[in-house]
Amino acid sequence: MDYSNLRRQAASMKKSLFDQGYLDEQFCQVEDLQDEASPNFVEEVVTLFFKDSGRLMSNIEQALEKYPRDFNRWDTYMQQLKGSCSSIGASRMKNECMSFRDSCGQGNVEGCMRSFQKVKREHAVLRQKLESYFQLLRQAGPAGAATRPVM
Amino acid sequence: MARKMIRVLLVEDEEINRVVARAALKAAGGGDVVDEAENGEVAVQRVRDAAAPYDLVLMDKQMPVMDGHEATRRIRGMGVTTPIVAVSSDGLPADVDAFITAGADDFTSKPLSKEKLGVILAKFRLA
Repeated sequence: MDYSNLRRQAASMKKSLFDQGYLDEQFCQVEDLQDEASPNFVEEVVTLFFKDSGRLMSNIEQALEKYPRDFNRWDTYMQQLKGSCSSIGASRMKNECMSFRDSCGQGNVEGCMRSFQKVKREHAVLRQKLESYFQLLRQAGPAGAATRPVM
Repeated sequence: MARKMIRVLLVEDEEINRVVARAALKAAGGGDVVDEAENGEVAVQRVRDAAAPYDLVLMDKQMPVMDGHEATRRIRGMGVTTPIVAVSSDGLPADVDAFITAGADDFTSKPLSKEKLGVILAKFRLA
């Protein structure tokens, strides 16, 4: 198997995630925390993010249905999701969370609903892209995550 | 002479934020002993019941049961002088002021990183 080619593909995929705005510098900060004692730290954190964010999105979905126009409640839940996004550098998703919060601030129900659909879409896309990225990294071997994208 | 062990209390309700913060603390050289509290009420209990005083408390703002402002007030009300650094994604002046008024010593924004924690540890001479 051509491991160097796989590593190049992984690096290219990661650069693309940054170039398209899916990820920001915080993702690199998380990568920097990976070491020999925690060799799978990044993937573990990302896995935890998707578990957490799934739960938070479910809370928001229920709140939108059960508590109409309760902008304070909606905003509180979305702030938690935004915080999680920030922790791993999920930039596009974070921006949609912020749009939702802006709509809450304006008392704009339609805006909230639209933004929430976008949050869900970004979540699904990011999940698919990161799953592909980590699959490639696993195939490429231990040196696969060594490079920081040139931005 | 052996370096003193740094004891930190990390107060944060979201697990992912605790995981990243813990790793960043360790990378910044301040993760000898890291206790966690998932809300302000647990934080106050941890401080009250700690076998040895903490060297640093990292306090999130928005948490269920008891928020960071109230937890900070209560910890100060116990006469505890441990540095408390507020952590929040909303770095609005009103937020920072509220935390300082409650008794926090400093404020930093989320997300936490090795660099930000390095600055904090150096500021309070824990690095």
